[in-house]
Amino acid sequence: MEKSFRRFTGSEIVFDTIDQLIEIAKINDPASFSEKLIEKYERIMIERPSSMAVLNILRNIASYFVEHGLEGLVDHLSKLRSEYDAMLWKAADIASRRVTSGEKILTNSNSLAIRRLLKLLKDQGKDVEIYITESKPGKEGILLAEYAESLGFRVYLIVDSAVRFFMKNINKVFVGAEAIASNGAIVSKVGTSLIALAAHEARKRVFVVAPSMKFSYETIYGELLKVPEGSIELILEPERDETLPGDFTARIPLYDVTPPEYIDAIATQYGLIAPQAIPLLLRSIYGSYPPFVPSLHELFEKIKEKYHG
Amino acid sequence: MSFPQKVLQIANDIKTMKIRGAGKIARSAAEAMKEAALDYSGEADLVAFKKYMVNVAKLLVSTRPTAVSLPNAVIYVLKSLREATSFNEARNNVVTYADAFIRNSYEAVRRISEIGAKRIKEGSIVLTHCHSTTAVEVIARAYREGRVIKVYNTETRPFLQGRITFAHLRKYGVPVVQIPDSAVRYIMNEVDYVVVGADTVTSNGAVVNKIGTSQVALAAKESRVRVYVAAESYKFSPLTLVGELVKIEFRDPEEVVSREWLSKHPGVQVLNPVFDVTPPEYIDAIITEYGILPPQAAILILIDKLGWTLDSIKYSENILENLERIIE
Repeated sequence: MEKSFRRFTGSEIVFDTIDQLIEIAKINDPASFSEKLIEKYERIMIERPSSMAVLNILRNIASYFVEHGLEGLVDHLSKLRSEYDAMLWKAADIASRRVTSGEKILTNSNSLAIRRLLKLLKDQGKDVEIYITESKPGKEGILLAEYAESLGFRVYLIVDSAVRFFMKNINKVFVGAEAIASNGAIVSKVGTSLIALAAHEARKRVFVVAPSMKFSYETIYGELLKVPEGSIELILEPERDETLPGDFTARIPLYDVTPPEYIDAIATQYGLIAPQAIPLLLRSIYGSYPPFVPSLHELFEKIKEKYHG
Repeated sequence: MSFPQKVLQIANDIKTMKIRGAGKIARSAAEAMKEAALDYSGEADLVAFKKYMVNVAKLLVSTRPTAVSLPNAVIYVLKSLREATSFNEARNNVVTYADAFIRNSYEAVRRISEIGAKRIKEGSIVLTHCHSTTAVEVIARAYREGRVIKVYNTETRPFLQGRITFAHLRKYGVPVVQIPDSAVRYIMNEVDYVVVGADTVTSNGAVVNKIGTSQVALAAKESRVRVYVAAESYKFSPLTLVGELVKIEFRDPEEVVSREWLSKHPGVQVLNPVFDVTPPEYIDAIITEYGILPPQAAILILIDKLGWTLDSIKYSENILENLERIIE
């Protein structure tokens, strides 16, 4: 049994997926590699359909595989891994420049991009106070608080409901993202849009730390970002829920969509850009807009046909 | 000074949040005043009895520093001592006023549910936060009248009062779906009305209520969803009229994370405010037993309906000091 993706951040899934594929690629059997690749793709589409970084990585790997087979694939995968690693650090580095000593920042969940931002702030010797929301469902904020504590920051842990209460004490908000849409909206841990709304109300700047790999090309053509919901167990609290009503019903959204007007800038590996300028960024990367990007669905149909037809 | 066991029990239950919700706290405080009078074992002397009742009042008021319904209930009962000319009369007055307060409180909730339900159009989806008996009564009545078809309720960390709201609404047959507090904006698109209770209504119409209420109201405003606050008149705070800031209580971090976690992570400070302040511009109406009120007109209730408390706060902003003046 593979462990569930749920506790992983989008970027952690990228590394985990590449690492597993490298192992399989080393076996040097195209059929077992394609099988693993398809399995990864299908699982991500069910469990993490909004995790664009891993979907874009899979798109890249599938394109390479369709074109070259296993030839040079291990090297390609290793290169992809270090490229992603570098762009994530770079995006965090660019975000870190927006923070000055003495500021109070607020963040949520436990995104790898934010962890790296905190690490860089520490390395830069910036004295920052960090407010972190618990981030139910999942309470990943507690893990981030532990990490921030280990770096030696002054850390404040608050419940998700207390965001607006503390917003007036905050200087800036930093969040990670699962996906960036073509209009500059971002998909992130549920509650992010509420944080951004409260920040906007209090005239506090909101920064998203996300490499361009998180861009959802499908949204250019009108595809809606998929925002999955989870099951009830995700919110239960064993010590308080002994007497839960028998017909207890809940909806547990895992992500929400923050509109571009509540985001001041996205820190990418290319620089800090307004969310609405995403198409411009893509044009400079790919030379045209819309960029030519192969369809995930078609790529995987091709692979299925070739190796499992 | 020693107090009857029942009084100490109620005071403790309010302090430990076994008794919670502004309405329940107020009724329990009135009940405690009555029990204190009935179980009074001191000298049958008017002055001694008055002194004793003031001390009971102080004990009760100090249990929760922010719950305005608590001093309002206590003062309502305490002022009955003013007119008393004998010990027996004083004791009877306390019992009569305490009973009247409790009766009026229930009647107020019933009246609010009648008025509030009318504000909700047929076939609506309502969102509520935390647990408010008054808000639940409004929603349940609206459900019986076919106005509400579904309720989203927040789980309300850290204490999960949302679970109580869930069971309370289910008791009336209302279809309820719970959401995590972080999902308020996510769900707001589906919602027609927000109905919440209040802990305290201030003189400028701001509403102090469970932490998270103000961001629920903010998200509602963004989505053009109407926000109604169901609040009995004894939740209006006379002290705010003289500029007093409502103190926001910070409770034990152990409500949020375990003691074990806290001891392992001394570098993380858990901040656990219980209430927040929703500004009047995010509230469409306050529903009181006297009728619908724009929040900015809260002052009307304070002057017309709680005037007696205003008299007594002219001199001092310290409620505990005031308690003695009330009976003079």
